[in-house]
Amino acid sequence: MTSFGFAWRSLTRQPARALLGVTGVSVVGALLFDMLLLSGGLAVSFRDLLDGLGFDVRVTANQWVPSRGPLIGDGAGVLAKLRGLREVQDVTLLRFGQAEVVLDDDPDFSANFMGIRGRARKSWTVIEGQDLPEQDDPSIPSILVNRSLADKARLSAGDLLRLRGTCEPGAAAMPTTDFRVAGIVAFRFEAAGHHDSVTGLDAFLRACEPRDPDAATLFLVASHAEAGPAATVRAIRQALPDLHAYTNQQFVDRMQVTDFSYFRQISFALSTITLFFAFLLIATLLTVSVNQRLGEVAALRALGFRRRRIIADLLWESALFVGAGGLVALPLGGLIAGRLDAILREMPGIPAGLHFFVFQPRVVAEYTVLLAVTGVLAAAYPIYLAARLPITATLRREVVS
Amino acid sequence: MASWSVLAALLGAVLAAPPAAVDEQASNPPGILISRQLAEARGLGLGDVVRLGPQPAGERARPFRVTGVYEPVPDPFRLTAERLEIRVHLPDLIELTVAADDPGAAESVTRVNVALRDPADADRFAGDLEAKLPGVSVWPSSGSWSGADPFTVLERFHVAVASVTMIGSAAFLLSLMVMRSEERRQNAGILRLLGFTRPRILLEVFLEGLLIAAAGTAFGLLLAVAVEGLFNRFFQWHYDTALVFVHVTPGIAVKCVAIAVPLGIFAGVVASWTLLRRDIMTLLRR
Repeated sequence: MTSFGFAWRSLTRQPARALLGVTGVSVVGALLFDMLLLSGGLAVSFRDLLDGLGFDVRVTANQWVPSRGPLIGDGAGVLAKLRGLREVQDVTLLRFGQAEVVLDDDPDFSANFMGIRGRARKSWTVIEGQDLPEQDDPSIPSILVNRSLADKARLSAGDLLRLRGTCEPGAAAMPTTDFRVAGIVAFRFEAAGHHDSVTGLDAFLRACEPRDPDAATLFLVASHAEAGPAATVRAIRQALPDLHAYTNQQFVDRMQVTDFSYFRQISFALSTITLFFAFLLIATLLTVSVNQRLGEVAALRALGFRRRRIIADLLWESALFVGAGGLVALPLGGLIAGRLDAILREMPGIPAGLHFFVFQPRVVAEYTVLLAVTGVLAAAYPIYLAARLPITATLRREVVS
Repeated sequence: MASWSVLAALLGAVLAAPPAAVDEQASNPPGILISRQLAEARGLGLGDVVRLGPQPAGERARPFRVTGVYEPVPDPFRLTAERLEIRVHLPDLIELTVAADDPGAAESVTRVNVALRDPADADRFAGDLEAKLPGVSVWPSSGSWSGADPFTVLERFHVAVASVTMIGSAAFLLSLMVMRSEERRQNAGILRLLGFTRPRILLEVFLEGLLIAAAGTAFGLLLAVAVEGLFNRFFQWHYDTALVFVHVTPGIAVKCVAIAVPLGIFAGVVASWTLLRRDIMTLLRR
């Protein structure tokens, strides 16, 4: 009989025990798999969201996330300079603000309000009506709203929307401005339950009348394919040394060490604990199992089974434990990850398209290696026990007992 | 005296020039407080003179003297932010940031903190004030969130992870107990032969399970308390904050005992029952 067959019989001889052991390994394995998914999932998902916008470089006033940092002065001048760079294919200026949605019959409510100059590329998807027109009607400018805002204000494409710009804290209350809802859209960075809207920059400025009308919150830049984002960033830094330009990857890297770091730390801590737990589980089960079969092992040795063969039997037993549990852990981990992801995505302000647990083939490889190493290490002590077993003394003890 | 917290980052080139290079236009510059993190990041100390300006390029910058270094109040919402902060007197901030052509801005404030005589009145006060001052948002500092509280979400996440861990532990425990029962199969048979009834043996198993579960739980709690400091020190070092991340409270300890002890007893009794329900001859392998 081969070592594999022998190990299989050892396990299936007591199916309840084997089933419980495999269940333990699969639950622990599922948790390990999930923590590995969490360690890089946020960054992968965030990178996908950024890349999906169709821009590969962003320019801000400082290293802060745009909505938290100061404005960029002389927006028109910066826009012109950026457009003049040969590495740059397309530039869009954005200005963020807030607005009160004024309703006749219901209480007013607050909404995110954004002004844009330039092409939006894939910043949103129109789900009803039309996109912002190239040439807008200045008397009643067009606006796009997300589904959440449209539902709350009971709006459809073509309806009138009355807004009061509240773009600067402490500023005097602005008069209302009427907009025509050109369409209902899904913003790429839209958070669940948030009310978002976007209009042309001129209409935005008219509704908000900010103190610095020429300022911008953020510039989104699309590089020429032959230049690439890294060369574009270098060119922008040279042309506009006071501003901060960074590629999507650089932005994600920075988020990894700031905003996302908590989840990376948690996933590292839990992965370590889970691995230790898996080691303890497998080592204990195998050690107890070997201790129960000392007589059997001694008899096999007496029959001529070599030490190497006993070691191979135990390694296979460990491999079967870990392999069966580890395989079950993958779909189980997927199910648990879905639930954990749903919990974390309830956090306020998280874009609907952002996920904490993202499947990557690399994670499966890491998971397999970690579990395999754990299985081998866990089998070391029971192997040592079985390999060093004194044959005669053990057989005598078995007979006497 | 009213003071404002201002992020150095927002004040652009504030600290671009080393203190020695500061233009000594003002003989007695106004005092400011800087956060410990900013002091460490820029090597600043008491008495140093720095220039603060509203623009990244340093236009309209003015000298200020560092009169104190403070530890920012730990804020979980700014956990990942570098606490590079400066506190200046309100008149200095207004003078520094308000444009000459916009005198109205000098009358504007970002936030007013209010201490109520009766803190329990906070919700009612906030509602009344919001009704009387349209355009002003008022909320109790310890009040409820309009949306999901991030810490409640995080707590739910940790509870979910703990639940999965508990299921794995339960399977582990059960398989160990089954093995232990198998080991004592003959002992159980002999006890039955000597006249011990099944309930009597189960009672012993129950008490043994109780002892093992209690000892295991106590060890687990002691381990948690022991590593609490390690976790906190690591995360406090990593995020440069005084926030406490892990705290084994009496409530958590009670919850652990309430879950772990019954689980341990249950695993022991179930594993033994599967053995004891067999007849004596089977137990003795006859």
